[in-house]
This record gives sequence, structure tokens and C-alpha cells, in this order.
Amino acid sequence: MKSFAPIAIAVAALALLQALTADSPYFTYLALLVGVNVVLAVSLNIVNGLTGQFSIGHAGFMAVGAYTSAFLSLWLHEYHVSALPESVGNQLFFVVSLLAGGGMAALFGFVVGLPSLRLKGDYLAIVTLGFGEIILVVVRNTPALGGALGLSGTPQHTTFFAVWFTVFLVVLFSRRLLASGHGRSLVAIREDEVAAEAMGVDTTGYKVRAFVISSFFAGVAGALFAHFQSIITPGDSFSFVKSMEVVVMVVAGGLGSTTGAVVAAMFLTLLPEGMRAVFQVVGGDNATLSQSIDQLRKPLFGLLLVVLMLTRPQGLFGTHELWDLFKKKRSVAP
Amino acid sequence: MSDALLQASGVTIRFGGLTALTDFNLEVRKGDLQGLIGPNGAGKTTAFNVLTGVYLPTSGEVRVGGARINGQRPHRINRLGLARTFQNIRLFKEMTALDNVRVAIRSTSGWAASMLRSGGFLKEEAQLEARARELLEVMGLSHRADEDAKNLPYGEQRRLEIARALGTSPGVLLLDEPAAGMNTREKADLMVLIRELRARFELGILVIEHDMKLVMGICEKLTVLDHGETIAHGAPAAVRADAKVIEAYLGEAPAHG
Ligand SMILES: Nc1ncnc2c1ncn2[C@@H]1O[C@H](COP(=O)(O)OP(=O)(O)O)[C@@H](O)[C@H]1O
Ligand SMILES: [Mg+2]
Repeated sequence: MKSFAPIAIAVAALALLQALTADSPYFTYLALLVGVNVVLAVSLNIVNGLTGQFSIGHAGFMAVGAYTSAFLSLWLHEYHVSALPESVGNQLFFVVSLLAGGGMAALFGFVVGLPSLRLKGDYLAIVTLGFGEIILVVVRNTPALGGALGLSGTPQHTTFFAVWFTVFLVVLFSRRLLASGHGRSLVAIREDEVAAEAMGVDTTGYKVRAFVISSFFAGVAGALFAHFQSIITPGDSFSFVKSMEVVVMVVAGGLGSTTGAVVAAMFLTLLPEGMRAVFQVVGGDNATLSQSIDQLRKPLFGLLLVVLMLTRPQGLFGTHELWDLFKKKRSVAP
Repeated sequence: MSDALLQASGVTIRFGGLTALTDFNLEVRKGDLQGLIGPNGAGKTTAFNVLTGVYLPTSGEVRVGGARINGQRPHRINRLGLARTFQNIRLFKEMTALDNVRVAIRSTSGWAASMLRSGGFLKEEAQLEARARELLEVMGLSHRADEDAKNLPYGEQRRLEIARALGTSPGVLLLDEPAAGMNTREKADLMVLIRELRARFELGILVIEHDMKLVMGICEKLTVLDHGETIAHGAPAAVRADAKVIEAYLGEAPAHG
């Protein structure tokens, strides 16, 4: 039962935070954006950081989750469970569509991962890159998914609680993973695949499992995203640029560090927003000036990353975790 | 079927035009301590790689615990009871010495139990850690348990490789130049330790060693390779007197790596 204590505490804390911030839509919106990116970064870290593989198509799995859940929600929307009050029924449908989004992404992860992870070398990068592009092309050409114009009308079910509870779960998952034989097997693969295999680790099996789990959480992140955007389109939010953004978060946080991924995802999501606010102040009422300063955002952002990688190539945290700071010598995990 | 834990019959492997191992035969039983020797490039490491499933033999057959393992993946072969160390140390560098050994010890806890940290899981983790610490102690590495493998001195890294291999609870242990890079004293100590391991864990051990004098001291049986061919096989005294062996060793350039 002790292992459920963190979950109970998280539920209470998040519910309280949600209540406290309910009257601040801007804060909530930012918190949703940040939370979705944290889930993406922490889940990608399971593959790229812990297992040492190189996936660059995370946004593709996010898209699978987003479209699957949105499609399902739009369909479920027309029904209601007569035995339940409508709000409870809606929450139930929401949870079902989140899990469906995650599940479908996991299935795609299996199909994409199995053939590419069996081979040695950088096949995964190539295949995930292609997968991300193919998914978008398929969506653009599928009228049922809204085609190029996008899918709108998804019920706006995503709450602060839903997003940050998912954040909590993926972080807890990563942490407990590392304190188990499964997690040690993944890290061993990262460190030396040949030696891991020689020590009885089913390296292919573990790489595929890591990839499927990572895809699942990316799918849930996409599903959460789809339920607070008024419209999802097969464009920027799920493109290769988005995938690279997540890769950058994981690398900047320190490949293999869960808390590093959390911090980097928060920082890198808020930084452009913060810069925008600052530039608006600098530009003042002069709209064209503040717009042209705003265009500095992306190069500045890039420069910052270059500086980080030059001064700290192992990322902010290396492979360390924030919670290691509080740990006594003999490790005791939750 | 014989009661050999490891058996190679007529194993040949070719890399393109190069035949790295020709008609290799070997049997290791419980309690054996055998040596595999030969000049640099003779095919010793290649033999280990074939036995452990890293390479598929071009012809011939390998059996581990009676089961034919040709074409099986190395982790399956390991679980049949065959463990090895690597000549060019392949530790999990960024993991602690303790975790290096823990990776090798099989855990039976499923995903759900691990994520929920069930009672059974916690108990197994405790047992696993105790076992890993015991193996570190056997190899004289207790004081290094919490240090990253990459920070260990060379000789200790070699010993950690052995501790890790022992973690898989093998019936047969293959050691690829375990004393390489050590000084004379360390080498002698290691040879004593290897003998103790055999008794304590009831192992069959096959050790590759470049230094003929060293293996002569501890092994009961030797196989001598040269250019992939087995040029001698038998008791150390007989092997030492063999004309082909003397030639192979005298003909070798003094510098080797
Ligand atoms: N994967 C490989 N591809 C091609 N040649 C190889 C390969 N592995 C080993 N060899 C060759 O096989 C021969 C035996 O090498 P090796 O078994 O490492 O020798 P030893 O361990 O006895 O010093 C060498 O000529 C080596 O270059
Ligand atoms: Mg060798």
C-alpha cells in the first residue's frame, strides 16, 4: 500500500492547485502546453536517454494519439451513459479516449519499432523520421480525420489535473523503472548492447518494450493536446520540427535524466512565451517593431541551445536526477 | 549425448577469405579448468564468439547443456548456462559496480509488480542486491559497490567483468585474457582466485591466456590454436613438449597487443 501513497498525495496536491488556478485561464493554458511537452520529453527519454536509441519521430506518435482520441471523442460525444450524470459520463469517455490514443500509439510503436530495433545501427532514426512524415500525409488525405483543414469540435475536456497527473505518472513510471530489473536492462543496453546481450538481457525485446511504452505516453500527450485545442491540423504541432523540439528538450536536460527532461521541457516551452512578453514590452505600442523583435526569438533560442551544448555537452543534469540530491548513500526508491 | 556442459564439434568459421577457426573441437564439464592458448590472432576470441552465439559458425555444431545453440541469440545461450568476459573490457561504464552485477542476475518480477513495487518485488530486489554484493565480495570489490564502473582501476574492471558473468549463474565460464594488463603479482593472485571460483561455484572454466607459463600452472587441459587450427590438445606437460607448439610460440614476434 505504501507504493500508492505518492499517487494519493499527487491527486490531492493537483486537485488543490487546479482549484487555486481556476480563475486564471492564461496560466492554465500555459500549464497545459508545458505539461504536454513534459510528458513528451520524459517519455522520449525512456528510449533516447535510458535505452540509448535514437528516435526522432515522437510527434508522429503524438499525432496518432491525438487523432485517435479526437475521432473517438467526437463519436462518443453523441452518446451518454444513462445510468451516470452527464459530467461523470463525459469524464469516463475522456479517460477512455486518452487510453485509446495511448493504446493506438503504442500499437504503432510496436509496428514501427519491431523491425527497426532488431537491426543494429541507426535504422530507428530513419524509420521514425519517415513514420512521422507518413502519418501527416495520411491524415491530410483522410477526410474522416478532417484532411488538411483539420479536425475541430473535440470536446474541451483536458484539465490542469488531467495533464499534470499524466506528468506525475510518467515521471513515477520512469523513476520506478530505474529501480527495477527492467530499467537496469534498458540502461545496460544503452551502455553496451553486446555485453547486455551476453549477460542474458533480451536486448531486442527490451528495446521494443521501451519504444512501445514511450509511444504510449506520446499518444496520451497527443490525446490531452487534442482535447484543449479547438482544432488539430496535420501541421506544425505534429511535424518533424515538433519531434526535434522534443529531442532537444531531452538532450538539453541530459540524456537519461528524467528530472532533466522535466526541467528542460518546462524551460524551453516557457522561454519563447517569456521572450514574446518581453519583446512586446520592449517594442511597446509600435506593432511592427515588436513584431520584428519577435522574429529574433527563434535565432536567440537556437543560440542558447548552442551555448548550452558547448558549455555542457552532457546536458543540464547529465544522467543525474534532482531527487538524487535528497538521497542517502544506500538507495531507497519510492 | 555426453554430459559435457559445453561442447563444440568440428566448428569452422570464415570471414570472407579468412578462415579464423578450423575444425575446432572442445568439451568442458563441470569442475574442468581448461586453457585456450595460442599466439595473437590465432582465433581464441573468435572461438569464444562462436561458442557464445556472437558469430554463427560456417559449419560444425555447438551445444550448451546438451542443447544445440547454432543460430540462437546470445542472451538465450547465456541462460542455458554459458557466461563470458570480454578481452576488451565491456562493462556498463556509467553504472555502478553493484548495478553491473545486478543486470546479470535474473529477476523474475513482472512489469506490474515492478511498477507497483509489490511485496514480492521488493523481496526479490533485496535478494538480488545481497547476491550482487556477495559476488562483489568474492571478487574483492566490496569497497567499489557504489562507484561507477568507468572509475575503477584496470585490474578491478577485469575482476568486475568476472563478478558480472558470475551473476548469470553459469555452469561454464569463459574468461578472455582475464589477466591482460595486470602485473605479475596481480596475475598470480587472479589465477589463484580463478581456481577458487571453480570450487566455490562448481563451474567449468575455460580461460584464454596469452602467457603460456601462467595457464600451465593452473589448467589441467590445454588447447593450442595457431592460425585457427588446433595444433595441440591435452595435458600441459605434453603440450609444452609438442614441437608444433614450440614452433608457434618461438616463431611469434616478441611484441604483441
Ligand atoms: N568479425 C571479424 N571479421 C573479420 N575478421 C575477423 C573478425 N573477428 C576476428 N577476425 C580475424 O580472425 C583472426 C583471429 O582473431 P582473434 O580471434 O581475435 O584472435 P586472438 O583472440 O587469438 O588473438 C584475426 O585474423 C582477426 O582479424
Ligand atoms: Mg583475443
